[in-house]
Amino acid sequence: MSEFQGVDYYGLDELLTEEQKQIRKTVRAWVNERVMPIIADCFERGRFPDELVPEMAELGFFGANLKGYGCAGVDNIAYGLMMQELERGDSGLRSMASVQGSLVMYPIYTFGSEEQKQKYLPALARGELVGCFGLTEPEHGSDPGGMETTAVDAGDHYVLNGTKTWITNADVADVAVVWAKLDGVVHGFIVEKGTPGFSAAPIEGKFSMRASHTGELYLNDCKIPKENRLPEAVGLRAPLMCLNQARYGIAWGVVGAAMACYEEALQYCRERRQFGKPIASFQLVQEKLVDMLTEITKAQLLCFRLGQLKDQGKVRHTQISLAKRNNCRIALEVARKARDLLGGNGITLDYQAIRHMTNLETVYTYEGTDHIHTLIVGHDITGIEAYR
Amino acid sequence: MRVLVCVKRVPDTGARFELTPDGRDIDTRNLEFTISPHEECAVEEAIRLVEQHGGESAVLTLGPEAAAEQLREALAKGIDKGVLLETDGSEWDPAATAQAIAQAVRELESADGPFDLVLFGNESADAGYYQVGVRVADALDRPCVAGVKGLKVENGKAQARREASGGWEIYELPLPCVVTVKEGINVPRHPSLRGIMTAKKKEIRRLTPEKPAMQLVKKGLRKPPERGGECEILGEGVAAVPKAVEKLKEIGVI
Repeated sequence: MSEFQGVDYYGLDELLTEEQKQIRKTVRAWVNERVMPIIADCFERGRFPDELVPEMAELGFFGANLKGYGCAGVDNIAYGLMMQELERGDSGLRSMASVQGSLVMYPIYTFGSEEQKQKYLPALARGELVGCFGLTEPEHGSDPGGMETTAVDAGDHYVLNGTKTWITNADVADVAVVWAKLDGVVHGFIVEKGTPGFSAAPIEGKFSMRASHTGELYLNDCKIPKENRLPEAVGLRAPLMCLNQARYGIAWGVVGAAMACYEEALQYCRERRQFGKPIASFQLVQEKLVDMLTEITKAQLLCFRLGQLKDQGKVRHTQISLAKRNNCRIALEVARKARDLLGGNGITLDYQAIRHMTNLETVYTYEGTDHIHTLIVGHDITGIEAYR
Repeated sequence: MRVLVCVKRVPDTGARFELTPDGRDIDTRNLEFTISPHEECAVEEAIRLVEQHGGESAVLTLGPEAAAEQLREALAKGIDKGVLLETDGSEWDPAATAQAIAQAVRELESADGPFDLVLFGNESADAGYYQVGVRVADALDRPCVAGVKGLKVENGKAQARREASGGWEIYELPLPCVVTVKEGINVPRHPSLRGIMTAKKKEIRRLTPEKPAMQLVKKGLRKPPERGGECEILGEGVAAVPKAVEKLKEIGVI
C-alpha cells in the first residue's frame, strides 16, 4: 500500500484553516509512522499499543479541544480531523482518545471543582493517568436511566455498589468517572485505581475492536472521599452531555476508517487484473467505488457543518445523533464493499478492510446504537418519544 | 545560545508534478508546500540545541508571503521567532539569496545580539545548488562546515561530524559559525497540537530585501519519462524461487 493520501472530492480542504491542516498533517504523519506498521499485529494479538500513549499525550491528542490545564485548545473542526486521522489508523486508537478526552477529561472539566480539575486534567493530558467512563451496566445499555449502581452518603464518604460493563480502558485505567444513583438521582464520581472495593477485568473473546482495552468495573462497598463527587453533575443529563462530545468525535472518526477502506480498495481495483484487465474496468466494480466515494463525501460535508455549529455553540444533540447514525452506517457499508472488492485478500489482515469492518460493528453500536439515534431524531421531528 | 536556522519553501513533489506551459518551472497550483528534509533536520537541531543550552532560536526564509506557512510550522515545533524576507515570489539565484540573508543576519544581530550558530540544510529540495549556506558564511566571514551529520556545542565551540567512507571527519569550529546539515543528523519531531496553537501567537518579523541583478538564469526543466507500473509474475509457490533468486542477483541484492 502507498501512503494514505486522504479523500477530498469536493475540495473541502479549501475551507480548512492552516492550523486545521497542520494538525491533520501531524496526526496523519504520526499514524503513518507509528501505528500503521504495527496495527494489524496488535489487532491479531488482541493488544492495544499502550506504548504509544506517551507519544499521543506529547502530541496533544488528549482533551485537545479543551482550554487550559495543559490541553491544546484546538477548535472542533481540528479536533474532528484529529479523530478522523486516528480512526483511519484504527477505531481502537480513536476510542482511546475519545474516552480520555470526551468521557473523562470533559466531565471533570465541565462538572468538576477547581481542585478536581487541577488534580486530574494536566496529568490526563500528559497521559500519566489513563481514564475510563463507567455508565453502561449489564442490564442497562440503551436505557442508562435504569442504572442499578448506587451511591450512599455515609457521612464523611460515599459508598458505591454496582457493576459497569463495556468500559473502554477499564482494566488499565488509573481513574474512572463512574455514574451512580445517590438518593435516586444520577451523579458522577471519580474513583481511583486501588480504592478498596474497586476492581476491573478485561472482556475476552472480542472479534471486533481487538486493538482496544475493553472490560468491566466492579464496585463492592467501595468507599470514596466526599471530594470525589463531581459537584455540577446532577441528573442523567450530565453523562449524556459527555456522550454528545464522544459521539461528535465518532461522527468524524468513522469517516477516517471509511477513507482508509475506499483508498485501499480503489488502489487494489486498479492493480488487480482479471480477464486480462484491471478489475476497476468492470462496471459493477466502478459502481461500488462511486457509491463509496459518494457516501464518504456526504459524510465529510455533514462533519464539517457539524463542526461549525459546535464551534458557534449552536449544535443540538439531535444533530450530533443524525451525524453519528449516518456516518457509522456509511462507514460500515464502505468497509463491507471494500472487503468485497478485495476478494479473498479482503479477509486477511494484510489489508485494512476487514479490521476496519469488524471494528465498525462496535462503533455502530456503542455510544448510542443505530436504533437509539434513529429514535432521538425521530422524537425531535415528531415530538413523540418512541422509546418510552 | 542563539541559533538561526534558514529554510526554503519548496513544492512537495512526493507524488507527481507537471511543468508550467513555458517549461521553466514546476506547476505548483495543485501542490502542497514544505521544506527540504535536510532543513527539517536543521530546524530540529536548532530546537534541540536551545533545549539543551537555553537561549533563543529563530527561523528565517526568503520567499513570498505564503512562505510564512513554513515559518509557522517551524514555530509550531518549538522555534521561538520567525523572520520573513518577503519577495514577490520570483526566482532568486543563490548569490542573491545569500546576499539578502547575510544582510538580514547583520540587521537582526545589530538589533538583538549575535547568533552563535547559523544553520542551513545541506541543499534545497528544488534547486539543489548547494551554495547558499557557504555563501552566507563567506559574506559574514564565519567558518563553515557543510554536509554535517553530528553537531554539539561545548565550551564555546562547535564540534561538527561529517560522514566519510566508513568513518567520520570531526571538525572543531569557533563560535559564531555556519553549519549546513544533512538528513540523518536527527529524527525531526512532529509539531504538537499545543505547538501549532502557540505558533499562531509567535512573532514573524518581515523585512523587504532589495533584489539584485540575477547572475544565474534557469533556462528550463525537463521531466524524466514516467516509469511504467509493469509487473511481471515470476511464478507461483516454490516454482517461483529460482527466478526470484535470479532477479535478486540481477538487481544486486544478493
